[in-house]
Amino acid sequence: MEPSLPFYILATLSVFSALMVVLSRKPVHSVLYLIFCFFTIGCHYLLLNAQFLFAVHIIVYTGAIMVLFLFSIMFINMNKESEPHKNTLIKIAAGVLAGLLFLVLLEATKGAETLGPPSPNESYSTVANLGKVLYGQYLLPFEIISIMLLSAMVGAVMLGKKSVD
Amino acid sequence: MNALIVIACLGIAAMMSEVLGFKKLLLPLVAIGLISVVGLFVMDWNTSIRYYHDMLYFDNYAIAFSAMVTVLTALWLIMSKEYFISTTSKAEHAALILFCLTGAIVMISYSDLSMLFIGIEILSISLYVLAASNKHDLRSNEAGLKYFLMGAFATGFLLFGITLIYGASGSFNLQEIANYLSKNSEHLPMFVYAGVLLMLVGLLFKVSAAPFHFWAPDVYEGSPTLVTAFMSTIVKTAAFAAFYRLFATCFSDLSGWWGETLAIVAALTMLVGNVLAVMQQNFKRMLAYSSIAHAGYMLMAIVAMNHISAGAIFLYTSAYSIASLGAFACLHALGANDNEKIINLRGFIAKQPFNAGLLCLAMLSLAGIPPLAGFFAKYYLFYGVIQSGYLWLVLVAVLSSLIGVYYYFRVIYTMFLPREEEDGVLPKISGGHKILLTIVAILSLLMGIFPGILQGIL
Amino acid sequence: MEFILFKLVLVISVFVASLLIAMYSTYGERKIAAFFQDRLGPNRAGPFGLLQPLADGVKMFMKEEIIPTNADKALFILGPCVMMMTACMTGVVIPWGNSLIIGGQEYMMQITDINIGILYVFGVVSIGVYGIMIGGWASNNKYSLMGAIRGSSQMISYELAMGLAIIALIMTTGTLSIREMVQQQHGAHWNVFYQPLGFLLFIICAFAECNRTPFDLPECETELVGGYHTEYSSMKLGFYLFAEYINMFISSAIIASLYFGGYNFPFLSNLGLSHNALSLLGTAVFFGKIFFFIFLFMWIRWTIPRFRYDQLMHLGWRIMIPLALFNILLTALVVLWRSGQLG
Repeated sequence: MEPSLPFYILATLSVFSALMVVLSRKPVHSVLYLIFCFFTIGCHYLLLNAQFLFAVHIIVYTGAIMVLFLFSIMFINMNKESEPHKNTLIKIAAGVLAGLLFLVLLEATKGAETLGPPSPNESYSTVANLGKVLYGQYLLPFEIISIMLLSAMVGAVMLGKKSVD
Repeated sequence: MNALIVIACLGIAAMMSEVLGFKKLLLPLVAIGLISVVGLFVMDWNTSIRYYHDMLYFDNYAIAFSAMVTVLTALWLIMSKEYFISTTSKAEHAALILFCLTGAIVMISYSDLSMLFIGIEILSISLYVLAASNKHDLRSNEAGLKYFLMGAFATGFLLFGITLIYGASGSFNLQEIANYLSKNSEHLPMFVYAGVLLMLVGLLFKVSAAPFHFWAPDVYEGSPTLVTAFMSTIVKTAAFAAFYRLFATCFSDLSGWWGETLAIVAALTMLVGNVLAVMQQNFKRMLAYSSIAHAGYMLMAIVAMNHISAGAIFLYTSAYSIASLGAFACLHALGANDNEKIINLRGFIAKQPFNAGLLCLAMLSLAGIPPLAGFFAKYYLFYGVIQSGYLWLVLVAVLSSLIGVYYYFRVIYTMFLPREEEDGVLPKISGGHKILLTIVAILSLLMGIFPGILQGIL
Repeated sequence: MEFILFKLVLVISVFVASLLIAMYSTYGERKIAAFFQDRLGPNRAGPFGLLQPLADGVKMFMKEEIIPTNADKALFILGPCVMMMTACMTGVVIPWGNSLIIGGQEYMMQITDINIGILYVFGVVSIGVYGIMIGGWASNNKYSLMGAIRGSSQMISYELAMGLAIIALIMTTGTLSIREMVQQQHGAHWNVFYQPLGFLLFIICAFAECNRTPFDLPECETELVGGYHTEYSSMKLGFYLFAEYINMFISSAIIASLYFGGYNFPFLSNLGLSHNALSLLGTAVFFGKIFFFIFLFMWIRWTIPRFRYDQLMHLGWRIMIPLALFNILLTALVVLWRSGQLG
C-alpha cells in the first residue's frame, strides 16, 4: 500500500504536534497541541475508511478526555517556575536511551511487509459489523471492561469524597 | 468462570452495600463469597474449559493460581477486619479489593492478549486508588501518584508490544500466536522480537524487577500497610502467573532469544533487592526490597521454563505470599502509631513469646530455612533452573539468598534485644492478626513438610 | 461537474442562510423580548427596525479592537475562530430537503450524507467547547476563566445525557445517518411520538449545549461580568455572539430533523405536486419547524430564570443521566418486545 499525500500531510502534522506537546513551555499550549495531535490521529482513521472509529476517537479523546485535561490544567495554573529542574546528566541519559529505543523500533519495523489497502467499498468498519464483532467474538472483554470502568469510578468517588472526621 | 462472575458480583454488591444499608453484613458476606469461590474452583478442577471464543482458559494452572489468590485474599481479610470497620469508605474499599481480585483472576486465566491487558488494568486501577486511599497522608498520596504514573508508563510498553505482535501474527489469541511463531520460526520479522522485548519490559515493570524497580519501595512504603500486604502478595502472585503463562504458551519457542536477557534481569533483581534490603532500617521498606528480591527468584522459573517450572513457581509464590502475609500482619499490628522501624521489635520475644515465635517462623520461611515452605520452594526452583542449564544463575541465587538470610535474621535478632525506654509500649497482637499469624505458621510448616502436594499438582 | 457545482451552491447557500438567520435571530430575540416585556423593541433602523442587525454588524466592525496586554495573543484570537468554525461545520450533515431533479439528474439537498452523521455532529459539538475554554483562559481574567470552566463542565455534563438520549433514538431507528432517520419519519411517523422522553432530554441538553437560558451560566452577567467573553471586544466578541445564534439555528434544525420529521409533513404525498415542488415545499416546512424551535429558545429565555450552578449539576447528573438510562432500558424492552424476542 503506497501511502497517499493526505497521509503524509496528516502524519507530518501528527508528529509536529506531538513534538510541540513536549517542547511547549506553557502547559496549556502542550495540552492544546495534544488535542490537535489526537485530532490528526483521528483523521488517520478516516483514511483507513473507519468512520465510526474516527467519530468515537474525536468524541472521546478530543472532546471529552482532553477537555477534562485542559480543565484541570487551567485550574492548577501551573507555571514554569514551579517545575523542578532535572539534572542535566539525567536528561542526557534519558535522551540517549529514548533515542536508542527509537532506533531499535525503527530498524525493527523497517522491513515490515505492508498489507494491502482496505477497499473503500468494504464495509468492515461499519457500526453494524463492529457491533457484531464486539458482541460476538469480543463479548467477554467488552463486558468485563465494565468492571474496570466501575473500579475507576468507585476509586474516583472514594478519593474525591470529603471524609467525615 | 462461575467463580469469576461470583467475585465480580460480590464486588458490585459491596459497592452497593452502603446505599442499600447492609454495611454491617459486608464482611461476613465477602468471607462467605470468597470461600464459595474457592469451592467453585475446586469443582472446576481437571475440566480445562475455554470460555467465550477462547478469551479465558481455565486449565489446572489457571484454577490453581486463581484458587490461591482467592485463598490469599481470604487470609488477608482476616487481618483487615479492623480496616473495614474504622475507615469511612469501607464499602468502596471492599469493592476495590474484590475488583482487584477479579482483575487478578482474569490475568491469571487469560487466553487472549486483550484479556491480559484488561485484567492488568482492572487490577492496577483499583490498586492506584487503594495506594492513595489514606488521603490525609502525603506519603500515601505520593505512593498512589507514583504507582499510577509508573503503571501507565509500563502499560504503554505492554500495549506497544501487543500491537507489534498482533501486527505480525494477526491475532490476540495465545494459541494462534504460538502457532504463528513456531510455523514461521525461520523468518520472523524483526518487529516480533521488538514486540516480545516491549512486552517483557512492560511486565518486568509491573512485577518490579530490576532495573525497573525504582517505583516499588516508595509505593510499598507509602501505601497503607494493608494495601502493601495485598500488593506484595496477591498482586505479585497474579502478575507472575500471567507472566509465566504468556511466556510458556506463546514465546517458549523464542526462549533462546530472551532467556539470557531474562536470566540477567533475574540475577540483577535478586542482588539489588537483597543488598538494598540489608541497608534498610524501616521494617516496611525492608519487606518492600525483600519483595523485589523474591521477584528475582520467581523470574528464574520463567527462565528455566521446563516441565517442573509451573509447579515450582506455584509453590514459590504460595510460600512467599503466605509468609509475607504473616510479616505484614505483625507490621500492621505493631506499627499502629506509625512506628515501622525494625528496632520497634525490641523486646518482642520477652513480652509476647508466642507471637514472636510465629513471626520467627514467617521470617525463616522467607529466608528459606528448612523445614519451612520457603526452603523447598527455593529447592524446586533451583533444581529446575539447573536442569535448564543456568548453573551460574543458581549460584547467584544462592549467594543472594545468603545475603537475604542476614537481614531476615536481623529481624529475629532484634526481637531478642531488651526493650528500651524510648521505644514506648509494644502494642499487643490479638484478634485477627493473631489468628492470621497462627494460620501462616501452620501453613508454612505444612507446606515445608509436604511440599510435593502443591508442587505436584501442576 | 454539475455535481460539484450543485454542492458548491448548496454549501454557499447553507453558509449564507446560517449567517442570515443568525443575524435576524438577534433581531427576533429583541423583538420577542420586547413583546414579552410589553415594549416596542428596535424600530429606528428601517421599517420595523429591520435594518437593525446590519447596523449592529457595522458597529461591531467599527469598534476598537482590544487585546489585553497579559492575554495569550495567539489563543485569544484562536478562541472565537474555533467557536465560529465549529458552529458552521455542523450544517453539512443536515438534510435540508429531499432531492431535486434537474436535467434528469437527482441532487440531494444535503451537503454530505455520511453514515455516521449524528456522531459527526457530536464530534463537532464536543470540539466547540474549546472555543469557550481557550477564549476564557487566554483572556487572563478571573471572570473569564470562571466562565470558561463553567461552560466546559456544563457542556461535558450535558453531552453525556444528550448522547444517551440519542442512543435510545438510534435503537429505534437503527441508523446513524440523519437522512435515513428523516426518511423513516415519512408522513407523520415522527420520532417524537416514539421517543417522547428522549426528545425532552435532548431538547434540554440542546439548551445547555447552546448556553442558552436557563443554562447561560458561562456568561451570566450578574455574577461574572460577561463570562468567558468579558475581555473580548469588536468583531471577536461578535463572533462569539454570532456563533451562539448559529448554534441555536443548527440545534433547532437537528431537533426538527431527528424528532419532528425534518422536511416531512403529513399528507405530503396526497398533494399531487411534482417532485421538485414537493421537495421545495418540504424545505420550506423544515425551515418553518426550525423557526418554531428558535422561537422556543427565545420564549424560554424570556420566561424562565437562570439555574444556580449546583442546581445545574444536580439536574445534569442526578436527573438527566438516570432518566436517559431509564429511557434506554425502556426502549430496549420495547424494541425486543416488538421484534418478538421477549417472552
